[in-house]
Amino acid sequence: MSQFNSKALSDLQPGAEAVVTEILATGKIRHRLLEMGFIRGARLKVEKLAPMGDPMELVIKGYHLSLRREEGQCILVSEES
Amino acid sequence: MTTLALAGNPNCGKTTIFNALTGSRHHVGNWPGVTVERRSGTFEAPGGPVEVVDLPGTYSLSARSEDERIASQYVAEPEVDLIVNVLDASNLERNLYLTTQLMELGKPMVFVLNMMDDAGDKGLKIDLIALGQLLGGPVVPTVGNREEGIQELKAAILKAAAASSTHLPSVNYGPDMEGELARIQQEINRDEELAQAYPPRRLALMLMERVPHAVEQVARSHARKAIGAQVEASLTFLEAHLGADGSNLVAEGRYGFVHGLVEEVVERTDRKHADVTGRIDAFLTHRYLGIPIFIAIMIGVYTLTFVLGKVPQDWIAGAFNWLHGYAQAHLPAGELSSLLVDGIIPGVGAVIVFVPVIMLLMGCIAFLEDTGYMARAAFIMDRLMHLMGLHGKSFIPLIMGTGCNVPAVQATRTIEAREDRFITILVTPLVSCSARLQIYIVIAGTFFPPLQAALAILGMHFLGFFLAMAMGKLLRTTLFRGENAPFVMELPPYRLPVFKSTCIHMWEKGSVFLNRAGTVILAGSTLVWFLSHYPGIANRTWSSELQAQQASVRTLNLPHEEQASRLEALELAHESRVVNSSLAARFGKLMEPTLAPILDPYHTRTEAWKDTVALTAGFVAKEIVVSTMAVIHQAPEGEDHGGKGSPLQEALKTRSGLTPLTALAFMVFILIYTPCLGTVGMIIKETRSLLWAGFTIVYGSALAWLMAWFTVLGGHALGFM
Repeated sequence: MSQFNSKALSDLQPGAEAVVTEILATGKIRHRLLEMGFIRGARLKVEKLAPMGDPMELVIKGYHLSLRREEGQCILVSEES
Repeated sequence: MTTLALAGNPNCGKTTIFNALTGSRHHVGNWPGVTVERRSGTFEAPGGPVEVVDLPGTYSLSARSEDERIASQYVAEPEVDLIVNVLDASNLERNLYLTTQLMELGKPMVFVLNMMDDAGDKGLKIDLIALGQLLGGPVVPTVGNREEGIQELKAAILKAAAASSTHLPSVNYGPDMEGELARIQQEINRDEELAQAYPPRRLALMLMERVPHAVEQVARSHARKAIGAQVEASLTFLEAHLGADGSNLVAEGRYGFVHGLVEEVVERTDRKHADVTGRIDAFLTHRYLGIPIFIAIMIGVYTLTFVLGKVPQDWIAGAFNWLHGYAQAHLPAGELSSLLVDGIIPGVGAVIVFVPVIMLLMGCIAFLEDTGYMARAAFIMDRLMHLMGLHGKSFIPLIMGTGCNVPAVQATRTIEAREDRFITILVTPLVSCSARLQIYIVIAGTFFPPLQAALAILGMHFLGFFLAMAMGKLLRTTLFRGENAPFVMELPPYRLPVFKSTCIHMWEKGSVFLNRAGTVILAGSTLVWFLSHYPGIANRTWSSELQAQQASVRTLNLPHEEQASRLEALELAHESRVVNSSLAARFGKLMEPTLAPILDPYHTRTEAWKDTVALTAGFVAKEIVVSTMAVIHQAPEGEDHGGKGSPLQEALKTRSGLTPLTALAFMVFILIYTPCLGTVGMIIKETRSLLWAGFTIVYGSALAWLMAWFTVLGGHALGFM
């Protein structure tokens, strides 16, 4: 997994599947994300965006979770096609 | 007595298990110093009662939020003999993350696999025996909402409590991590007291994750230098070797352990399961349908709470009115009677009248939470709310505030992060409630033609929302500047709520309101009775004058109706005399100059102080502003005769000296100035601070003054008087 094809989670489109490569967030948000399962290698799928375009709904570790785009920007993923 | 702590993730059905275990024998309070609910109860066992303490639902024990700090500190207390860890069987992997932290405490554990039916529906088969062996404690399958497995759970709890030793597994973090953990533990063990307070391995892990309260604990130790140095050295080494920081490595280790465990015990049958939640969400969070459905649900909740709730409210108000009239007619006139008739009876009434709406709104909210829709509502509204510095879940309190601010403030409990909750509490009073609507109707109806009156009233509501948004943003960027609480929110599967749980919840909210906020409201309304009746009520000359006048009217032998109306007029004149000379009126006159730029910009009014007195009375409840104006202007509100408005409206129009412009400014002031006593009581209860309640009153009054002043200036510039 090279840094090359990794992008921010917030840039994924609904339906996209990806693997977490790095958490750039710091502080409280970083810990919360780690505890909720955003660890390196975790697989996730973007389900949909909220009616106003933010936040986004995704599935990780078998459960559904919502995340603001600004938080999604701090998560680097590598998209699977 | 054996004490057990019930721990688990949010949405795992913990409260249902708690209710099933303790039945009705439980008590709801707050954890010391915070507004996080503390539920505890007991159940009988052969060896004596067992105490069950329900911890706040958390995803982790890393103590970064109020809930987590409480859970994390309480489970470590020596009084906790046993931990019962409730797990959602249909979402085992994430639920077990918390388990790995609980195991570090080294206390006996019992595992509850709740929602076994959901797991079955999802096509998951769980090997309970293997799971029990791997976790090192008994595993009891339950379906909490049908109370299945509760007897077995009680038996397992008693057996585990009696067992002498525990063999909990520990997560293996790999050779590099384990080596460093051992080094940190070695340093911790140099301070015996510290090693007693926390299991050293747990403390070492918390230090690697830089958990704030663990760092503080170590800072008090005499070995702090050695421990600190070792932690830094270990983290530097690991970062270089494994390419990640401590919290990352700890989380990966825990999830690695959990993943391995789940792989071993969970079998996924290929049976195509019906994804009910997905199908419901296709509608409820749909791109175009989501918002209309949300609005429809809000209208439903609002109607149920404030339209249906008005029925029992009217009964209560009617009963207290009857009691008021009965007491007035049967008690001898005097100060003590007045305290009872005009102070305590209306005061108790003012408290009890809130109970139906509180119970209904809290019931609706519990229903929305238990079904899983609350998270979707936050998901849908978050974009808009985030723009104004609030959280998606702030929307419901704000909307419900248009009915009544009191239950709206209580409804902020659903917002987890303290900052988000406090901002919402502080801006909710700006939302115009139905009691304020009554005042607008009287004033706007007096000074404006119907269409303009309707526009003015609508404008007040919009102004309220606009100010709530502006203040939200302002508070977020000033007093609550800290880190934004993350909006990492689970969207739990939809579930049918348990009727019994919803009822218990409603009853709890209603009784908690009576106990806490009720006392504040009652004390406050008694105080205001005192201020608005003394010293006039103790004036013997006045009361004997009234009696003499009434007696002389009776001797005139007038027709029945005329006599009644003349007696009433005398009574009103007497009341007016008392109120107009009262401490509250003196306060009103004293405050009048401060409000002069708004209510009397041209210094032409002699009666402007009466508005101030009405505003002072409005602090108790906005409902009584109109009746107070009726008393001080000596003009009953009564019926509208021949389209000229009620006697009060006529008095306002012809005698009070208010102009359409100053009347509008008065409405603006009423919208914004201090929240009513009921809301203040609720704010004190929900923030546990007199300071925040005081802050709401002060900023509200200041903002009200400014906005009303702008109204006068703006209106004047546009050529209005």
